Amino acid sequence: MKLIKPLIAALAMFVSVTALGAGAHGDGHASKSGEAGKPSEASRTITVAMYDNYYEPESIAVKSGETVRFVVENKGNLVHEFNIGTPAMHEGHQKEMVKMVEHGVIQGGKLNRGMMSMDMGDGQSMKHDDPNSILLEPGESKELVWKFSDKADIEFACNVPGHYQSGMYGNVNFN
Amino acid sequence: MSFLKSLAVTTLAGLVMMPSLSFAQERRQDTTPRKESLKIWGAQLEELEYRYSDDGEELATWNGDFFYGTDELKFRWLTSGEYAIEEQAYEGLENQIVGQVPISTFFDAKAGIRFDTPEGPDRTYAVLGIAGLAPQWFEIDANFYVSKDGDTSTELDAEYELLLTNYWILTASLDATMAFSEDREIGVGKGLVSTETGLRLSYDLIDRSFSPYVGVVHERKYGDSADFARADGAGTEQWFAVIGARLSF
Amino acid sequence: MKLRFLASAFGLMMPAIVFAGEYNLTVDRIQIDTGDFVKEGIGYNGASPGPVLRFKEGEEVSINVTNNLDEMTSIHWHGLILPFKQDGVPGISFTGIKPGETFTYNFPIIQSGTYWFHSHSGFQEPDGAFGAIVIEPEGREPYRYDRDYVVQLTDKHPHSGDRIMRNLKMMADYYNRQQLTVGDFAEDASEKGFLATLKDRMMWGDMRMMKVDVEDVQGFTGMINGKGPDQNWTGLFEPGERIRLRFINSSAMTYFDVRIPGLEMTVVQADGNNVQPVTVDEFRIGVAETYDVLVRPKTAEAYTIFAESMGRSGFARATLATKEGLEAPVPSLREPPLLTMADMGEMEGMAGMDHGSMAGMDQPDMEGMDHSKMAGMNQSDMEGMDHSKMAGMSQSGMEGMDHSKMAGMKQSGMEGMDHSKMAGMNQSGMEGMDHSKMAGMKQSGMEGMDHSKMAMDDGSVSDPFYAKGSGLLPVAANGGKFLSYADLKAQKPLFEEREATREIELRLTGNMERYIWSINGVKYEDADPIRLQYGERVRFKFVNETMMTHPMHLHGMWSILDVGAGQLNPVKHTVSVQPGTTVYMETEVDAPGQWAFHCHLSYHAATGMFRKIIVEGGPETPAAAVSEQSVKVGGGA
Repeated sequence: MKLIKPLIAALAMFVSVTALGAGAHGDGHASKSGEAGKPSEASRTITVAMYDNYYEPESIAVKSGETVRFVVENKGNLVHEFNIGTPAMHEGHQKEMVKMVEHGVIQGGKLNRGMMSMDMGDGQSMKHDDPNSILLEPGESKELVWKFSDKADIEFACNVPGHYQSGMYGNVNFN
Repeated sequence: MSFLKSLAVTTLAGLVMMPSLSFAQERRQDTTPRKESLKIWGAQLEELEYRYSDDGEELATWNGDFFYGTDELKFRWLTSGEYAIEEQAYEGLENQIVGQVPISTFFDAKAGIRFDTPEGPDRTYAVLGIAGLAPQWFEIDANFYVSKDGDTSTELDAEYELLLTNYWILTASLDATMAFSEDREIGVGKGLVSTETGLRLSYDLIDRSFSPYVGVVHERKYGDSADFARADGAGTEQWFAVIGARLSF
Repeated sequence: MKLRFLASAFGLMMPAIVFAGEYNLTVDRIQIDTGDFVKEGIGYNGASPGPVLRFKEGEEVSINVTNNLDEMTSIHWHGLILPFKQDGVPGISFTGIKPGETFTYNFPIIQSGTYWFHSHSGFQEPDGAFGAIVIEPEGREPYRYDRDYVVQLTDKHPHSGDRIMRNLKMMADYYNRQQLTVGDFAEDASEKGFLATLKDRMMWGDMRMMKVDVEDVQGFTGMINGKGPDQNWTGLFEPGERIRLRFINSSAMTYFDVRIPGLEMTVVQADGNNVQPVTVDEFRIGVAETYDVLVRPKTAEAYTIFAESMGRSGFARATLATKEGLEAPVPSLREPPLLTMADMGEMEGMAGMDHGSMAGMDQPDMEGMDHSKMAGMNQSDMEGMDHSKMAGMSQSGMEGMDHSKMAGMKQSGMEGMDHSKMAGMNQSGMEGMDHSKMAGMKQSGMEGMDHSKMAMDDGSVSDPFYAKGSGLLPVAANGGKFLSYADLKAQKPLFEEREATREIELRLTGNMERYIWSINGVKYEDADPIRLQYGERVRFKFVNETMMTHPMHLHGMWSILDVGAGQLNPVKHTVSVQPGTTVYMETEVDAPGQWAFHCHLSYHAATGMFRKIIVEGGPETPAAAVSEQSVKVGGGA
């Protein structure tokens, strides 16, 4: 028990570092919804809980240009994603996530992180390392710092197959 | 001592009985029709037709049955007749009452009585038969008859439906009678007696309840039976054009 | 102190006051207009389907049912978990409701989701006596939607149920207008050769079986919420909204393949229980099943809800639109399916079945289960290759299951390749299943090998719940994803996972020609009840020895369908068993009393594919209470 906790923390840190450190990898997706923010610039912290299959809260309000620290906790029994983007971006990402399930990277409540770095042979990997997104196993918790750009049609969403479609998304309202 | 023992046994039995009795009360018995054999009835006139022969004879004929019963036992009344329109006389009139039980997946055994009451002498037979569906979808009805006087004969009825479409159906039928003993009075000679072969083209107009048809029928007598017919001044072979309908209720 | 007492008393009373609901239903003789014909039928509160009963989880309902018919009636609450005397099956749960009588059902609602109710007397249900039940959960739903519609399907026939039953008994193919004709013979002959076609027809003719025996009762008009295709039931939406569609198949006999061209459907519930969402293009709904799907039309165009019958002899149609009167194109019916020898897979047990005539089964289309064609498997890291889903493979003619060609799998290792559950495959004809050559597979982890998506040689997809080579295997009209039972995984396990305490084999049997349907060769009228012990977990093994699909419905207790997902196996009330397959389900025997267990095809249930289940023991049986009492009396004396 004593050992496991730091282990999880270490793992979480490792993953979030790789996630955040991959900003350069961005393919222009992120430009519409904002960009990875600097933790020091975060004006406030919003805690988002992920359940099977919905968020709490289901909508948040931000200002244009605001940097927000999200603490995302997976309180469900399935793998969930927290991804900030436009509906079109989510739709595109959903196709990738279908692959991740087909290839066994996501199996219900488990995430095969070892596989995520593997080259799928068609030039694609399943790293899932975009800065606008984190993917969590049940019980995991992670931070994402995001600087919102101008007012846009933005949702936070879980693109694990079927989850977005069944309503696992939240609205980002600009005020 | 033994009295005490029996008392104990009675008490024990009572104790055991009581819960089981109340248990039985609690467990409702299904006495709804679902728990009974499904009783089905049906009526069918497979042939109800007007026949016009190559020598100008006109007949009205029918061939049908009515049944009532369960999977295990059915009662069936089979009726067929040939009515000569000009003579206003029944050339043939036959009624059977049989009981029918399944003997294999596709076949039933039948037993009963047949009454022939056409113009002329009547006959009563005991009937033993099988009916069912043979491989390749041939409907078979085979019967063995014993008359009151001990005359025996068999009759084989086979039918095949060729589906031109799901509504236009060409039905081929063959009915053959063979006698094991002579019954001169009704024109039956020993051996193959007669055949009736038919080909009918029908159309299912209302479900399978009403299917009008046209067709041809060929009747022929053989051997001694043919000789008897000739001696009585009748023909031995006839072709008919037929028009009629198959009805079922 | 006083206040607290009052508050607690009030608290105690509150649930009773707030959560008690009273409902009234009348059973009436009505006219049903399908658009194609008008037919006298039976309805509730003057209509068929009856009203949607909306309950809330935790509610104590009392439902007054007034019988305005001149015959007995009853209402069964399909899928609801309740005391057996409230279950509404005459002769099993109660005596039934007499003409003129008002019977009050009382039971607590301890579940949520989409269900339905129907008469369990005679053929009143096919005649129209059914309605929908929608139960709102205590907490929130694990999904979101803006609109909520019941989509209740039925197969309304111009003949009454009694008439249909009689006609089927007189002539099993009375309603089958899809039989192979001379024209079909000519077509096949020009395609496959005269002799091959003749041989094929003779083979089937020898068995006196028809490839076209998919739908016993054709000639119906498919209806949705009481509207025929021309009457076009319409559900309204605003673009961008999520719509929950609660599909209920209340047909007497008809399976429907449901799609909405232009929309993906995300299945979120099956038989009232939430499943992990799975997005599909089309799904097949068995008789008595329910599926809840979410759809999200993004534009203002109209969409057709198209439900084709499995045998393609009819369809139901409705529309989703932004206003009444809009329509989308209605697709045409696809070609009727033909049964194959694979669908005859397990017919050895059938009375009078001549094995000699089955020689034709060793035909190319049934040759070895060849894994070499499983192109989709050339992936790394596959864990737990679970063959337990491969129930559909149990054909006798299955020779040479050859794993040696599974070249693509020679990658990092397969953990726990579990063949132990392959019970269905232990058939006599299965020779030479050679695993010895699979050495190369023992490397690192192969995970999540999903058999439900096994790509076949011809590009089609197989489904472990259909016999391999089955003619009934569904394919999505747009070439996309067709829902399989193997896709259904419980959102949350309803029961603790544990080993079944025993297995009960139920062979689904029948004689099509005589139109007799039975279980283990015995009709209900001749059968003893199945006795279960309270507290046990029974594993039911359904072996379908007939050539028809049977939706098996157990009353009063859940059917945990084994799709190989362990604790996440979906929980259903109706389990469809395809011809030539073996399907397993488990039941936690947690409901004392006696219950019905039957095929939900009306005319199969009525001719004998029906059983009474008696659950013995249990804490709340009056019987147990009585026996305890009598023991006490005995002790006192």
